[in-house]
Amino acid sequence: MARAFRRKGQRFVAKFDPMEREVVTDILEQTRKIVAPADTGKPEASTGDEFDQIVASISVGRDGPADPPEDLADRDPALDRLLPVAHRGDEKVAAEFRRLTEHDLRDRKAANLTAAIEALRGATGDHLALTKEQAGAVAVALTDARLVLGERLGLRTDEDAQSLELMVRTLDPEDPVVYAASIYDFLTWMQESLTTAMLGRGRFR
Amino acid sequence: VNLMSYVTYVFETYFGYPRNKAEKLMLDVHTKGKAVVSHGSREEMERDTEAMHGFGLWATFEKDA
Repeated sequence: MARAFRRKGQRFVAKFDPMEREVVTDILEQTRKIVAPADTGKPEASTGDEFDQIVASISVGRDGPADPPEDLADRDPALDRLLPVAHRGDEKVAAEFRRLTEHDLRDRKAANLTAAIEALRGATGDHLALTKEQAGAVAVALTDARLVLGERLGLRTDEDAQSLELMVRTLDPEDPVVYAASIYDFLTWMQESLTTAMLGRGRFR
Repeated sequence: VNLMSYVTYVFETYFGYPRNKAEKLMLDVHTKGKAVVSHGSREEMERDTEAMHGFGLWATFEKDA
């Protein structure tokens, strides 16, 4: 049973049992597959993981970008959540920004997700102790994972999150959406607990 | 959908803003949907925008009207 993060000396400590950690590292791995740039991503054999299928299949109320540029039309919409349009009102500027930054950003996000996965795998028993650097990596990784999972669940606004909660109550407990929503909640709780501990009483730096 | 504590943390760590400024900007984002978090040259703003995207925040840059 998970216990929230708290600061202990130079570390951020929490408790997560092996199953909880696996659920989180699984979704971080799924997120990494989506963000890793196509040319550097090694083709990975499907794990046949239940979660692969869930993340791949879920689409709740997704209506896609309003007017996607042609070459972006086939993109995974989750990528547009991770790498949003950088300039409103000037498509050329936005496209140029994307061209210049996207590859590096995707590389960095993939590397950060790897660091977070390794940090979570470094737990002994149920005890997880993160350095400041690892804590930062995990906080960012959880953000990316929540954006991806949130996109799959159709969460764009705080109101969406509330309506999902209501919808989940009407669904069959076996519905993959119910499972995904519970993971989303768990990631949210974990991130809130970590960033609250990181903020502490004073400045983080 | 981003957590308030996380947004505060990003503004503090990346921009080096003190807690009260980071929290005020975070609350503006939360209640108004956006906040101007940084001013500077086009290059600096592009760099900040890229950094915010790295943190998973939906930043844009634009020229002051």
